[in-house]
Amino acid sequence: MAQLFPKEHVLGFIGSIILTIAALSVVQFDVSLTAGLVILWVTALAQASLQLVLFMHIGETDDKGSIYVITLYSVVIGLVTVFGSLFAMIWGY
Amino acid sequence: MFTKMTMSEVFAPLKEPLIMGTAIGILVGVIAVVAGLTYFKLWGWLYTNYVKTVDHKKIGVMYIFVALLMLFKGGVEALLMRAQTAVPDNKLLNSEHYNEIFSTHGVLMIIFVAMPFLFGLFNVVIPLQIGARDVAFPRLNALSFWLFAMGAVLINVSFIIGGSPNAGWTSYFPLAGIEFNPGVNNNYYAWSLQISGLGTLMTGINFVTTIVKMRAPGMTWMKVPMFTWSSFIANIIIVFAFPVLTVALVMMTMDRQFGTKFFATEDGGMDMLWANIFWVWGHPEVYIVILPAFGVFSEVISTFARKNLFGYGSMVASMIIISLLSFLVWAHHFYTMGQNVAVNGVFSITTMLIAVPTGVKIFNWLLTMRHGRITFTTPMLYALGFIPIFTIGGVTGVMLAMASADYQYHNTLFLVAHFHYVLIPGTVFGVLAGYHFWWSKIFGFQLKDSIGKVGFWLIAIGFNVTFFPMFILGLDGYARRMYTYSAETGYGTLNMISFIGALVLALGFLALCYNIYYSVRHREELKVTGDPWDGRSLEWATHSPVPEYNFAVIPKISRLDEFWFAKKEGRDLQAGEIKDIHMPNDSAAPFWQSVVMGLASFFFVFNEIGIAIILGIVTLLFMAYRSFEIDNGRHIHVEEIEETERKLKETERQLRGDR
Amino acid sequence: MSKHNNSVPLEYQGEENDLKIFGFWVFLGAEIVLFATLFTAYFTLVDRTGSGPTGVDLFELPPVILETFLLLTSSFTIGLGVHAMRLGRVKPMIVFYIITLILGAGFIAVEVDEFITYIYHEDATIQTSAFTSSLMTLLGTHGAHVSFGLLWGIAIIIQVAKHGINKRTANKAFIFSLYWHFLDVVWIFLFSFIYLKGMM
Repeated sequence: MAQLFPKEHVLGFIGSIILTIAALSVVQFDVSLTAGLVILWVTALAQASLQLVLFMHIGETDDKGSIYVITLYSVVIGLVTVFGSLFAMIWGY
Repeated sequence: MFTKMTMSEVFAPLKEPLIMGTAIGILVGVIAVVAGLTYFKLWGWLYTNYVKTVDHKKIGVMYIFVALLMLFKGGVEALLMRAQTAVPDNKLLNSEHYNEIFSTHGVLMIIFVAMPFLFGLFNVVIPLQIGARDVAFPRLNALSFWLFAMGAVLINVSFIIGGSPNAGWTSYFPLAGIEFNPGVNNNYYAWSLQISGLGTLMTGINFVTTIVKMRAPGMTWMKVPMFTWSSFIANIIIVFAFPVLTVALVMMTMDRQFGTKFFATEDGGMDMLWANIFWVWGHPEVYIVILPAFGVFSEVISTFARKNLFGYGSMVASMIIISLLSFLVWAHHFYTMGQNVAVNGVFSITTMLIAVPTGVKIFNWLLTMRHGRITFTTPMLYALGFIPIFTIGGVTGVMLAMASADYQYHNTLFLVAHFHYVLIPGTVFGVLAGYHFWWSKIFGFQLKDSIGKVGFWLIAIGFNVTFFPMFILGLDGYARRMYTYSAETGYGTLNMISFIGALVLALGFLALCYNIYYSVRHREELKVTGDPWDGRSLEWATHSPVPEYNFAVIPKISRLDEFWFAKKEGRDLQAGEIKDIHMPNDSAAPFWQSVVMGLASFFFVFNEIGIAIILGIVTLLFMAYRSFEIDNGRHIHVEEIEETERKLKETERQLRGDR
Repeated sequence: MSKHNNSVPLEYQGEENDLKIFGFWVFLGAEIVLFATLFTAYFTLVDRTGSGPTGVDLFELPPVILETFLLLTSSFTIGLGVHAMRLGRVKPMIVFYIITLILGAGFIAVEVDEFITYIYHEDATIQTSAFTSSLMTLLGTHGAHVSFGLLWGIAIIIQVAKHGINKRTANKAFIFSLYWHFLDVVWIFLFSFIYLKGMM
């Protein structure tokens, strides 16, 4: 039975619960917008990497280099799309 | 919410005599094709060999066939536009018809000519250049093609049934919204781009996987031929740009058909958001259609200059930089929308930066030709014509990149001239060069070079006569998309010159078509071996026409242009033991699934949501079928391969003896 | 170039399997950009509420926490399912996959309830304002992905139950797990930057 619950998965799950609770602090306590956003970014990125590494096993194969590059590239394009659009239409308008 | 049209509204476009005439022409054409296929009993042949095929070479040929058909239609629309504006106050087309024509001209030429022509070349060439037996996902490849084809059908149906898109190929809101455009015209735009875009996204994923994972042993990244490299970058851009289009079109559909407020003029909607998201996809799209063409020129120039490509590493580096920069410049399409100087400044700078890696490539091509022994074949003429004409396009692009100056050029014919000066020498010359260059790989005979050259000169001269006057007209204040103008404006003369140029371009297209006819008739004389141009990369190492398994033995690669050096050293790249070859099975499912999805989109266009949802469920059933299907492929056995190889080698020996 | 390397897990063995997993990663890259574009629309329109409700009016913590818990747990259980598969144990694998789908269905149920609250108690439909349009499209796209995942997961479970764990089924089950984890990652961003930021 214990064999079916490997340590890294269980720790990963506990980690993700802790990160969720940490993120909840931004609504439970009176934090400034900047501090809140920093907390949200840190916890969200930590959650995402936790899922990618522990559960999705990114980097377990020989082509991990290509997979890292493609994932990173898509994240960069995604961020450029979000912040570039906000720059053009909200902040810089 | 779901307004439905009456039958007389649905067929309203037919009241226009020009459209009625075209519709009758199409009907006659379809009847002729159906009758011909029935008479020669070719339906079964067509179904088993093409409809069901998953062979990348046949799919490539079908892509190019559709591209040429659409080029014809887009070209006729261009001629009509030029004819309408050739003289002041012309009454050939009314304003609505003119709007539809320039809108579908843009959509067709970008999405249904440039893209499929390039996809055709990807399909035909890339697996051969990297020494693979097929693409990574042959079934998905067939689905991509048929979805794209259904998108093409949908946009062509639109001008007879219901009305074509009429808000420009960019379909800006609020003009494209339901408030100002209550007909189905722009529903067609959204759905036909949506399903062909899905196909494109799948193609992108397919080719990225193919190029990353299926290169011949020893072909490390810096030994990959330039066309494959440039297509790889283009496919990467496809994977990351097309989801943006998908979302944009979903939002357009939701706004037009489900009453959401994304781009509405009330309830907080923001019409600028459409322009923004459209160009987040639209600008990378420009690089998707231009980079593979750069790859073709690299192959053609180094082959016909008999030299290796100058600055291979800098070519690769500049393309990677272009791929990143292409996502950082989109706001230059709407400098005049009202954002502040900081925004325009940033996007001005990124835009001008793109000229640097592009300039690097131009110099690399020039230096490749330096001291080369150049042979002037048709593909080489296109490559040589490309360099100066494209440079004009590039330089005017830098002019447009300056935000403050753009307030003068914006939405004038100067812009129209600029992007035709980029896309025609870039993409069109590129695909035509590739088409003449690789034709024999598929068919085993070449296109007649002398007719090809006539075609090139007609196209090159016609192009410049058509579009150069537009620079002057644009600087003179002639706005794009105007359906007519008065005589006092003095725009008449230059517009007439432009129309004459368009007629010469049309002759060039006829020369292309005649060349196919001539070359098919004289195919015995035009027959060639697998390596007619003394080529450099792997596709020339196999026979022409390419056997279905591509390579009897997968070559091993130790350097760039391995095949060229192997020829010099008298090595046979395909030496080695022949083994059974595993091939994918053909399947009709991709075709039928695409038909169902095409029909679903068609019913969505007309707000027949119930039927569309039922067809959507059928699509899910197709996917379930694919999930449960056990398909282990089939094997081509050694004896059969040896027999095929023997025959092909025998033909090649004869051909060499003949010459 | 097919590598018949038996040291890699079953789902990677054989050239086709290897290609499919790689291709799916590329697809996930495209999905990242797809959701980023929806986020772009949302962030651009978040303050453009017209005469409709704002985020503070709409969002409530308890259902969101429940959804997060359901999805995080399902991501954990499908991870255990893949682990069981790699141990070659069919039964626990199927059990974990079924638990995953039940949790996923629970998530959808809560989300549907949330939408019903928006529509019938807050008068916020998808047509109310640019804000609600972008909010419901973004949440709905994620929900549609999860719903599609439920159907897909059922197809996987049937095949594993029928054919056991072999190269083909292991490959399918693994790719499905990638999809499911990815949806969890997307949810984290929805949870953080729509709900929590909206309630700050």
